[in-house]
Amino acid sequence: MRKQLAIVLGVVIVAGGTAATQQQGRSTPDLQGIWQAMNTAAWDIQDHSGQRFPGLPARFAVPAGAGVVDGNEIPYQPSAREQKAENFRNRVTADPEASCYLPGIPRITYMPFPFQIVQFSDRIVILYEYLHATREIYMDGSPHSELALDSWMGDSRGRWEGNTLVVDVTSFNDRTWFDRAGNFHSDQLHVVERYTRDGADQMMYEATIDDPKVFTRPWKMRMPLYRRAEPNAQILEFECYAYARDTAEAGSR
Amino acid sequence: MSTRLLLIASTLALWVGFGVAPDAQEDRSARAQASCPQAPVQFHPCALEKAKTFTPPRTPDGKPDFQGFWRGQPAATENIEEHPKTDDDDGGRSLIVDPADGRIPYQPWALQQVRDNRAHYVEPNAACFPSGVPRSMYVPTQIEIRQNASGVVILFERAHTSRLIPTDGRAHPDSRIKLWQGDSRGRWEGNTLVIDVTNQNGRAWFDQAGHFYTEAAHMVERLTLVDPNTIHYQVTIDDPAAFTKPWTMAFPLRRNRQPGFALLEEACHEGERSTDRLLGLGFKIYPGVTGPPNR
Repeated sequence: MRKQLAIVLGVVIVAGGTAATQQQGRSTPDLQGIWQAMNTAAWDIQDHSGQRFPGLPARFAVPAGAGVVDGNEIPYQPSAREQKAENFRNRVTADPEASCYLPGIPRITYMPFPFQIVQFSDRIVILYEYLHATREIYMDGSPHSELALDSWMGDSRGRWEGNTLVVDVTSFNDRTWFDRAGNFHSDQLHVVERYTRDGADQMMYEATIDDPKVFTRPWKMRMPLYRRAEPNAQILEFECYAYARDTAEAGSR
Repeated sequence: MSTRLLLIASTLALWVGFGVAPDAQEDRSARAQASCPQAPVQFHPCALEKAKTFTPPRTPDGKPDFQGFWRGQPAATENIEEHPKTDDDDGGRSLIVDPADGRIPYQPWALQQVRDNRAHYVEPNAACFPSGVPRSMYVPTQIEIRQNASGVVILFERAHTSRLIPTDGRAHPDSRIKLWQGDSRGRWEGNTLVIDVTNQNGRAWFDQAGHFYTEAAHMVERLTLVDPNTIHYQVTIDDPAAFTKPWTMAFPLRRNRQPGFALLEEACHEGERSTDRLLGLGFKIYPGVTGPPNR
């Protein structure tokens, strides 16, 4: 445990040092607004057929979808590949989403709920509709926090590379998945996100996933995000665990 | 090298472990340096008087600058009315400055509902539900305020909740949309941020004592800087379904001046174990009430 903490701290300090230079101020790209993915990655980030989902009525079956993973291949280490298969078999209950837990990064980005990006002088805040999750991305060149070693949503430090917002995310726990198909990671997960506006109502989202305990090499997922352009669009609430309590209560009546 | 890191790590662990202590110290020192007393009934007129002469710092677009970390009135989450120190409570003064008796002006049925709430329902915050407005502003937690030209964002460490307060004049959504946190719309009146809150789902309480409002509740909050480190916070609650007249709470938000302070993730539900025990004892999940029960 102590050794692991020391290693994580070492990584944190090194990673923080490289983020020290960045542009700031009035000329930064405007990513503000309400955005949402439009794909089936929430079900499975890889190519997949339409299929039933165990325990759900047919109308809630899994829609077929093209994957969002570069090359469609996730480079699992052999034991991790077995774990993924086991996760898939147990996905109805083993998926942390089934317990309404915070879904982590990047998963929350492509769940079927909007999120709002709000920019300030020294940070970017993302408000997610799912589980009223929030995220602060520090843009002041500060290093990763030593206090957030074991978190669901990670510790986010951002910088601008040209028109791209690059966010370095570390300090994850090992309890979130990438999708409902059992794709997973360990607490060594390191995510680098890239948000690039490439249209008035569209941006490209890319996440590089590195986890030396689970994968043989870093890999990428990529997808467009679309602006929720409805004039009355706003972030509302999806209170998963409250609905779980209400469902249990309704069942007992 | 690794010894040094371990030293850093254990120092940090101590920091995390005693996270509450610096807050309490911060509260005490802020109180000592503040020119208006902490007790709501004295703070309220004193702060309103100071607001007349204080010139607040401004954001680049010329609005009063509320940005930073703040803390409300933690004991109020036990009970917003005056309450004694007991085995369960730290005790505290009433936050209510109007009416003058410091009591919530309930309709008779609603007074009975408060008793029922205490006797039969899981306190909604125990289940990690959003605290709602106004409770979010005084739960024992850190509050972060950020502003830009289009509005104000308030982040609460407690259960990672938030409020987005547009100040661009847009109207509230249709009343069929109901929210734990309500819907907030802001506007500036001189140096005061006025926030109109509607679209409540009526499932949040004011406190652990079962004090409640319905989905008909309409809140108007007023935030005014009265010195560099104090916000006068005032909220008037109008709920014709539950109260005999509108009433008002007021208290200070004190600035947390700890250098380098940042909110940490409070994954409330993910570690929550008390609700199942309470349900096992026969308590129910509070569904909200809209008016007198048909009995």
